[in-house]
Amino acid sequence: MSNREITLEVRELTKRFGSLVAVDHVSFEIRRGEFFSLLGPSGSGKTTILRMVGGLLTPDEGQVFLGGKDITFDPPEKRDVNIVFQNYALFPHLNVYDNVAFGPRRHRWPEAKIREEVTRLLEMVHLTGYEQKYPRQLSGGEKQRVALIRALITRPQLLLLDEPLGALDLKIRQSLQLELVDIQEETGITFIYVTHDQSEALTMADRLAVMDKGRVLQIGDPKTIYEQPQNRFVAHFIGNTNMLEGKVAAVEGQDVRVRVPKLGEFWGRPLDGADVRPGQSVTMSIRPEKMRISRQEPERPGYNKIAGVVEDLIYVGVSTEFIVRVSPVKTLRIFAQNISREDDLWQITWDDPVWVYWRPERSLVLVE
Amino acid sequence: MSAASMTRQARRVRFRYAFYRNLGLTLNIFPPFIYLMLLFYAPMAIMLVMSFWKSGFMTLEPAFTLDNYVKFFTTPIYVRAMVNTFLIATGSMIALILVGYPIAYYLARYAPQWESLILYFLIIPVEINFLVRIFAWKIALGRSGIINSALMSLGLIEEPLKFLLYSKTAVVIVLLHEWLPYVVIPIYLALKGVSPDVIDAARTLGSDRWSVFRHVLLPLSVPGLFASFVLVYIPMLGEFAVPALVGGPSAYMLGNVIESQFLSAGNWGVGSAIGFILLTITLALVAIVIKVAGVEELM
Ligand SMILES: Nc1ncnc2c1ncn2[C@@H]1O[C@H](COP(=O)(O)OP(=O)(O)OP(=O)(O)O)[C@@H](O)[C@H]1O
Ligand SMILES: [Mg+2]
Repeated sequence: MSNREITLEVRELTKRFGSLVAVDHVSFEIRRGEFFSLLGPSGSGKTTILRMVGGLLTPDEGQVFLGGKDITFDPPEKRDVNIVFQNYALFPHLNVYDNVAFGPRRHRWPEAKIREEVTRLLEMVHLTGYEQKYPRQLSGGEKQRVALIRALITRPQLLLLDEPLGALDLKIRQSLQLELVDIQEETGITFIYVTHDQSEALTMADRLAVMDKGRVLQIGDPKTIYEQPQNRFVAHFIGNTNMLEGKVAAVEGQDVRVRVPKLGEFWGRPLDGADVRPGQSVTMSIRPEKMRISRQEPERPGYNKIAGVVEDLIYVGVSTEFIVRVSPVKTLRIFAQNISREDDLWQITWDDPVWVYWRPERSLVLVE
Repeated sequence: MSAASMTRQARRVRFRYAFYRNLGLTLNIFPPFIYLMLLFYAPMAIMLVMSFWKSGFMTLEPAFTLDNYVKFFTTPIYVRAMVNTFLIATGSMIALILVGYPIAYYLARYAPQWESLILYFLIIPVEINFLVRIFAWKIALGRSGIINSALMSLGLIEEPLKFLLYSKTAVVIVLLHEWLPYVVIPIYLALKGVSPDVIDAARTLGSDRWSVFRHVLLPLSVPGLFASFVLVYIPMLGEFAVPALVGGPSAYMLGNVIESQFLSAGNWGVGSAIGFILLTITLALVAIVIKVAGVEELM
């Protein structure tokens, strides 16, 4: 995988709007056929990056390479890059057929070939028979699929999708997510998929970049991003996590002892290569599903443990979510699998005194 | 009960339902409807009837005849006025679009910060009294008017340009000035309504700037062009003050013929007939434009 051909390279890309740095020296590479996701909160600069890659906006600094060629200043129509816009941006004066045929016509395909391809793609997204309809006669999901095949038909090297499912309800969203992944695999076109929905990015992408305030904080595959977030923002933004803030009390080989004011001392493990010293301020991040809960004090040497009171519990079928108050200002979230083996779990209820415990290597020590 | 009578009954029920549901609306449009009927359609119906009556100088006899229409088509000066009318109105319309479209395009696409100021300047002249404007033009276009004086002092011409006043050109120039805002504003609004993302989408799909204009902006501004056409072309066909004041005899239009039939020749029959000929042609033109431009599709 690592030595596959690079489709897109973005180098030190920067865009300012007045005093605001919307995109701040962003660099990344995307391999051919990859499903890459840009994930970040609203205003983090995702759309701005897409617009610079697509040629709709000129960067203030940095370069964009497509297939090894510098395209930083090429106009959009000269780039082999298409965009699916968040609000679909279908041509209101053209019917579905002519909307999809727009790109091929600009590229002077023969009409017979256009007819064949449009028909095939409409079939692929289950819109056969919609040729003569106008955009205003379509539902959101239908518009979205037309926008998608309109951008796909000329088989660009790179397809940019800007929150394409953002405006749709959960059900259609999920079915279109699957459809999108299938289409991407089938066509082999490289996708950059922008979203601010972390579950969407985790389930669909081969790799993702997490952004905040115009900067890329971490790039990696979903598992790495989830299990080994580089900093507090990523840990917090991707999935759920419990954060404990404190100071390093001791470093013993791989492990670090962190003193958390009013709660006690806990063992944790920093990321490989992180430079952790006694006295340093750090944050421990523990995923809710990595914590366990019981009514008896656990007799497991080496485990981190803390006593608390069940403030709330939410039964969600396969698992139960507990909110445990461990101090007047701190609660922890724990997801426990509903497995019959752990009889004890069934008996825990509101206001019960409980113990929360976890293995030291489950608490990630973050320095940023 | 047969299927046919069932559907008939269903239709009747549906009709009654629609009637009651729309009762409020019906009551609301009733007064303006009466107003239109009494003050607009009724006089028009009377004119239509009169156009088929025998008529002469200050006389009108309720006896059916086609003479009024025959007279129009057999009098060369009237036919020439009709030709003039279409030449002037069409020429002005073309000039208006050639001048107005770029202004509207520039306003909508490239001048967000100047938008209201430019629109304001465009509209101010409309607020100035119509006759004052025409007389101002008369002064400007005259033989020793500012345009001729300027051109002569620059040495561009030796003699004053005669076609500047009392000619079809003069009428077109004044009409251009008079109607420009009504052409710019609808086109501007139509172009302004095109989402920037739609333009960006066209760019990424392989359109250069010209192709975006040709395949996206132009078709999407058709409703605006149509509105301009209806707002401007039709009144221009009925124009009489401008040709009377700056056009002279060579720019005599149907409006002038109608005016003189009613006011000086006292022949209401012929006047009415010409009015209806003009109306019929106008309606036919609007229908053709709707058909050709495919406006229904877009509205
Ligand atoms: N044309 C512009 N002029 C001024 N500021 C802009 C412009 N476009 C974007 N910005 C600013 O740049 C920042 C990044 O915007 P961008 O649209 O890239 O965010 P985003 O990550 O796509 O957010 P969202 O998830 O809400 O779509 C924002 O603070 C935005 O206000
Ligand atoms: Mg965005």
